[in-house]
Amino acid sequence: MIFQRRRTSAAFGLCAAIVLISMLASLFVIGQGCGNRGPRSLVLAVGGAPSELDAWESLIEQFTSETGIAVTLLRQPTDTDLRRQGLVTALDSRQSDPDVFLMDVAWLGQFAASNWLEPLDPYVEQEVIETEQLFRQVVDASDRYQGRLVALPVYVDGGLLYYRKDLLAQYGYDAPPATWPELVEMAQKVQQGERQENRSFDGFLWQGAQYEGLVCNWMEVAGSAGGGFVIGDSTIKLNTPANNEATTFMHDMIHRYEISPRNTFTEMKEEEVRLAFQRGNALFQRNWPYAWPLHQADDSPVRGKVGIAPLPSFADGQSVSCLGGWHVGMSRFSDMKDEAAQLIAFIVSYETQKLLAMELGWNPARTDVYSDEEVVAAAPHLAELREVFEHLTPRPNLPYYTLISQVLQRELNSVLSGRQSSQDALLSAETQAQKIMEQYGTP
Amino acid sequence: MARPDESHSAPPRLRRWRDWTEIRTATLFVLPVVAVIAAFVLVPVIGTLVNSFYRDVTILPRRFIGFDHYRDLWASQSFRQSLWFTTMFIVASVPLELALGMIFALLLDVRTVVRGLMRACVLVPWAVPAAVSARVWQLIYAYNHGAANWLLSNLGISGQVNWLGSDVGAFAAVVLADVWKTTPFVAIILLANLQAVPRELYYQARVDRANFIQTFFHVTLPLVKPGIIAALLFRTIDALRIFDLVYVLTGGGPGGSTNSVSLYAYSYYLNGSFGYGSAASVVLFLMALVLSILYVKLGRFRAEGA
Repeated sequence: MIFQRRRTSAAFGLCAAIVLISMLASLFVIGQGCGNRGPRSLVLAVGGAPSELDAWESLIEQFTSETGIAVTLLRQPTDTDLRRQGLVTALDSRQSDPDVFLMDVAWLGQFAASNWLEPLDPYVEQEVIETEQLFRQVVDASDRYQGRLVALPVYVDGGLLYYRKDLLAQYGYDAPPATWPELVEMAQKVQQGERQENRSFDGFLWQGAQYEGLVCNWMEVAGSAGGGFVIGDSTIKLNTPANNEATTFMHDMIHRYEISPRNTFTEMKEEEVRLAFQRGNALFQRNWPYAWPLHQADDSPVRGKVGIAPLPSFADGQSVSCLGGWHVGMSRFSDMKDEAAQLIAFIVSYETQKLLAMELGWNPARTDVYSDEEVVAAAPHLAELREVFEHLTPRPNLPYYTLISQVLQRELNSVLSGRQSSQDALLSAETQAQKIMEQYGTP
Repeated sequence: MARPDESHSAPPRLRRWRDWTEIRTATLFVLPVVAVIAAFVLVPVIGTLVNSFYRDVTILPRRFIGFDHYRDLWASQSFRQSLWFTTMFIVASVPLELALGMIFALLLDVRTVVRGLMRACVLVPWAVPAAVSARVWQLIYAYNHGAANWLLSNLGISGQVNWLGSDVGAFAAVVLADVWKTTPFVAIILLANLQAVPRELYYQARVDRANFIQTFFHVTLPLVKPGIIAALLFRTIDALRIFDLVYVLTGGGPGGSTNSVSLYAYSYYLNGSFGYGSAASVVLFLMALVLSILYVKLGRFRAEGA
């Protein structure tokens, strides 16, 4: 028995030893994997659809063959929030990778204020990076933080009104609406007529779900009434008559005029809106420029029937388009800054911008690409877009903008769902935003 | 293992010495597990607790602020809303899951030809990952082309319903999706307990002319009480932490009415406000801790009483 007991304990000991050794060995292997990357390589973090990642792969190859600098593509998810989460984790722990990454314009303030972005001014002065041709307004509004250049636009976006040319003509309208009341009138008339054939038809689709896109839509409606964020040195105002009018109008489009479906505030994000419009189920949609090439695709039911125009405004206001788009920046913790600057220069170069426009339909951040013959031939609508892009309204460039946005998303969404009056919601949002400003606006 | 054998073969002193080495060996074997638990459970919990006392945002220098975050949490209407939602979610979903789980367990305990097949069918929802099942329910509740609205229109009821569009609707939708998914879990735990009930007791009850309901309340229920307590504990803690279902299905909407505490904490982490998110997580942790202690005490008391 004792002999047997010893044998069992010896067996146990052996097992434990094997487990321990294999654990140590795996740790060692993992450590090796992280430590040695062979020849040093830049890491570029990009996310998006598979077609976008493929385009980046081929761009990187080209960059490497031109400069001899190896680049590894860090493939991020498509979801914007997950992309941000991945970058925040890496940067907050001061990792040297990724060296270069793409950022949504809405997070630039947070990233810059966190001191994660390497200023690019020296590289511009040394003429490594050329910024002359980039949209001046976009760069000034979004890429400068406390006077320093911390990022550069890769592509620009702005909200647009898409309309069905054929339906407007059929119902006797010769131009898209210039004001919101006109839009309501047209939408109601066409919707009434079309619904006799197609019960799923809606007048106007826009992004009303509880997410960042709702804030963009709201800024456009509010801005066209002369409202929006009113930001002072230590105050933030949201509960203004213009904002109240705009927010009530957004609620009314769903519940009073009934030109926007009731799932606007539960389901409608960019793709839901685009797909419904593309199936022929809407007269108007508010969307980003990415929808244009998709509507013009060969298998699209609305191919050739779509027009784009600036968004409508209220009687005494003017059309406002929310600035969107993605920007490229360099990590302050990068261990290959000179090479990283070369990669950024490559991304904002004429050739790359042209390629991204041709292959992915991205709107170039450089004004000169808009007059390129090949680009104009492939995408004639870009000429119209350039006009819109000269007058984009940025979201507030505050380091804690995303916190304020989160509050506003919730409050606006509750107005759209009919839980709160617009006045109550704006007042509540203002109080919470003011609190955020007090907490995070002072060191 | 070989204890009775040792007791008469080894002298007392030697036995004590061997006991000591056994304890030492046992400690040695347990040590790695303790180290792993410490590294992956204790360190994060304590780290989160410490962090909740700091203003820890990426945009500003880290600063000690004591209980400020907890005060702000309490003052925040949206946090109270998330507490309210989470509590109501537990109150609504756990009893339903328990009741349905019990019914399923009793049905599955009956000897029929198709019992194996039935058990497999009941288990399917539990095997589906939560995010996937949330997506499936989203397709059911969808306004256009959703299965629920399709059913309505086929029943001849006109007008689409925006199921997730009202507070009550979204709440009920989340509860229903959760009940569908986790009832099998409760059923399986209870079934295991049911099968351990000696069949003789049922024969005895039949001899005493107890009817089905009497048998259930006087024989079955007391004997599966440990299982009920275990299922309650697991389900309550899981419901308290509800995240994936609301994240995918409602995103906390409409207007923040289905924002759970864990979703609330997550949204602050995402925005780089780690200290505040930590404070919300600590509140969640404390709630889970209190509930666990409560159930463990309750379970012991009941087990002794039975």
